[in-house]
Amino acid sequence: MSADLTTQALKAVELAKAAGADEAAASINQSRDVTFEYRDGALEKVKDTTSQGLGIQVYAAGRYSSHQTTDLNPERLTSFVSEAVAITRALEPDEFRQVTPEELFANRPDVDLDLVDASVADISREQRLAWCEALDAVATDHEKVISATAGVYDGSSQSASVSSNGFSGTRQSTYCWYGSEITLRDQGDKRAEDSFYVGGQHIETLPEASTVASTAMQRVLSRLNAEKGPTVKAAMVVDSRVAGSLIGRLLGPANARRVQQGQSYWAELVGEKAFSDKLTIIDDPLIKRGFSSRHYDNEGISAKVIPIVEGGVVKNLYVDTYYGRKAGMAPTTGSSSNRRLATGDKSLAELLSDVGDGVYVTSWLGGNADNTTGDFSLGIRGHMIENGEIGRPVGEMNVTGNLRDLFSRLEMVGNDVYPYSSTLSPSLVFAGVDFSGV
Amino acid sequence: MTIKRRDFLSTVAAGSAIVTLPGFLSGCGVQTATAIASATPENPFMEWFGVDQAVAARVMSELTSRGADTADLYFQHTRSNHLTLEDGIVSKANSGIEQGVGLRVVIGDQTGYAFTEDLTLASMLAAARTASAIASGSRVVTPQSFNPLESGDLYTTSVPWADVGVDQKLPVMKFIERTAKSRDLAIEKVAVYWADADERVMIATLDGKLVTDHRPMARATVVVTAKKGDETQTGYANIAAREEFSWFSEDRLTTMIDEAVDRTMIQFEAIRPPAGEMPVILASGASGILLHEAIGHGMEADFNRKGTSIYSDMIGKKVAEPFVTVVDQADIPRERGALNYDDEGNKAGRTVMVENGILKSYLHDQISAAQYGIAPTGSGRRESYQYSPMPRMSCTFMEDGPHTKDEIIAAVDHGIICETYTNGQVQIGAGDYTFYVKNGWLVEGGKVTAPIKDVNIIGNGPESLKRITMVANDARLDTGGWTCGKNGQSVPVSQGIPTVLVSNMTVGGENVS
Repeated sequence: MSADLTTQALKAVELAKAAGADEAAASINQSRDVTFEYRDGALEKVKDTTSQGLGIQVYAAGRYSSHQTTDLNPERLTSFVSEAVAITRALEPDEFRQVTPEELFANRPDVDLDLVDASVADISREQRLAWCEALDAVATDHEKVISATAGVYDGSSQSASVSSNGFSGTRQSTYCWYGSEITLRDQGDKRAEDSFYVGGQHIETLPEASTVASTAMQRVLSRLNAEKGPTVKAAMVVDSRVAGSLIGRLLGPANARRVQQGQSYWAELVGEKAFSDKLTIIDDPLIKRGFSSRHYDNEGISAKVIPIVEGGVVKNLYVDTYYGRKAGMAPTTGSSSNRRLATGDKSLAELLSDVGDGVYVTSWLGGNADNTTGDFSLGIRGHMIENGEIGRPVGEMNVTGNLRDLFSRLEMVGNDVYPYSSTLSPSLVFAGVDFSGV
Repeated sequence: MTIKRRDFLSTVAAGSAIVTLPGFLSGCGVQTATAIASATPENPFMEWFGVDQAVAARVMSELTSRGADTADLYFQHTRSNHLTLEDGIVSKANSGIEQGVGLRVVIGDQTGYAFTEDLTLASMLAAARTASAIASGSRVVTPQSFNPLESGDLYTTSVPWADVGVDQKLPVMKFIERTAKSRDLAIEKVAVYWADADERVMIATLDGKLVTDHRPMARATVVVTAKKGDETQTGYANIAAREEFSWFSEDRLTTMIDEAVDRTMIQFEAIRPPAGEMPVILASGASGILLHEAIGHGMEADFNRKGTSIYSDMIGKKVAEPFVTVVDQADIPRERGALNYDDEGNKAGRTVMVENGILKSYLHDQISAAQYGIAPTGSGRRESYQYSPMPRMSCTFMEDGPHTKDEIIAAVDHGIICETYTNGQVQIGAGDYTFYVKNGWLVEGGKVTAPIKDVNIIGNGPESLKRITMVANDARLDTGGWTCGKNGQSVPVSQGIPTVLVSNMTVGGENVS
């Protein structure tokens, strides 16, 4: 199948060359995705699809454009590609737009990333239903349940990419996720709701469905009777499950595009001790069974481990070939893979105990950050930390500050890495954070 | 470039929904040069998709061979174009074609769904068999042919985007860049992003309707970066509509450019407001984000039929002062959220959600309407052929009230005005919602004082509705390119509001003692 996809991608590159492109790169993708959703004792939704698509990048007369289509009819594909070349010629020339040079795709690693579980293709309708029923049984077994939806999501994808200057690669992976979303009757008209899902490339790594549903149930039960917390400057403990989102905001402008466009507070930070020495973030594409593991990135650059921050010192930014050339920075990769954070030796309970009083954040609600200045303001839900333990549930609060300043006040990191994410982060403890509430 | 992966688990929390302004359109479309007289046997849409009445009837028959209450075939072809101007040159283009057919069969509240990008009979029949597996009953009677409904005229255009070349768009983008740069010596960079799309949709339904719609969409965005001393600030503005090229007049573009420059330069003087509870004035226009998050999502009937929305038991009850009327309306010509027909083939129109303070109607798709025993409100929407429809908003706004903007400002002793926004989110069951304020103002002693920036505001939907104590007479829809996300599906929406006062909300701020 991969060989077939490679042939199709090569054909697209040949079409582009024939239409006048100097260089071209193409990818073909195929996927199968199955969804089972089960609500209140009955199957509610079954979705079973196969999908395909082609992407092509064209370099002609010092100009560049990219295109994608789901219509692979050979005749229409030919006119699609020649039109793509014509569009390219209508643009302005740009010396920095060049096909990925060969030296960047040399020495591609070939370590087995173990991203395929062949048994995913054989998951039966009965198996999916059995998972749904096991999830549902736990969730509906409670007097306050209004509604519970169990979901099973599995599938596979494969792609082949080639370029006119010799790049050729294929990727394949499978996935299987399941979990529950539960709504409970709360005070007045309010409903408490929460969810928990687990997933991975391999079925064998997943916890029992009933365990997953129990976790979802515990999470939503802990939300009952939540109230608005205080306006206070306090310590913030960010649960490992939602730390990845905060790391994502921190790193949002940590790339050559933002820096070159003057829209990044990371611009002058490379080589600087910008953050707390507790902060270490490594971009690692070679983790076995990692959610974003890969042998090459979307430009074809060979995968390697890239330290972004080590002990608070900024080591590298995400640099693609185009903005790297423009900004005079050597390319690393333009797109993140897995992000590994340094861990500490304390459990969440020990972190909470050390903190004593503060706010324990278990989910975010909206909010944003300014990439240029790092100023942020985020909605939160969670619990008050009282006498070193998880206290009353709170919500309808904001946390506000500046990302660089916040991460300079990272005081502790836990040992409790959340596994179901491509950002492998422990719980994080920050000092002196501004909360707004009552 | 890659096919959309399953990313819902990492991005959307349970029961939540998000509205954002992404960098680019997520798809949309246009109209061919001539208005289509669809009541012809040789439907041009059928020709476009290479499907005739017999093929559609054959696929519908297979789709419903194990039973169905309702079923539909959703054919879609979208051609989109993007252009990027950075550092003075337009050196990046992107175009995309999304084509496929989604096949849906519904029994009660159970849905079977499949799609294929390959519009051959064999592929469509295979997908139909897959979708039909949800059912276990017996074959239903299906139409021999489908009756074309009259085309809508909300966004008819004379020139399709397919006929507008890069050479025509380039000078417009250069004009935007040049004009923005000329506004202030501190402006170091200007980026311009262009997006347009032609979308064709054809829906064949089990009850024998054939609905066709040409949906144009276009958006221009300008991003301004300025530097004073060591400080850099970025701001942006955009305009979007179901429009054609001539809509992007110099006047309209200049208004957008001036907004982007003003929003950027004011940030050099702006401060963070104090943190905590205070009165909040929402300026007219984009502040409609309040309605989208505080009430709109909670009124989508899929949540209510499951009982998971905080509004599930409130129909007929007083939820706001008598001068508060909140509407979702799809038939507003050329608005970004406008629709002739929804994505289930029902006529899209006006739904009054709150009338004179009383909660009136949810937004229904066919599944919820059947469960409530009422007609659908034409609110069934989907991102593309890859998704089954669900109740969504279109253009959501509040009607004029009895007060004036000046009266509202004068009534606030210590609070803020919110003016521009980047995004919002809501928790459906608890009713907590947020929006992020990019620009605003402090109000002290009934007067506007210092500019503020970058604060999240959080409130509770029903509580905030009750706390709308003043509504001005200056309602307008925002022209910005809003996109709403729900359960992993993005659709274009519009929002608007007059100036209103919410007597108490929680403002994210700094300098907490």
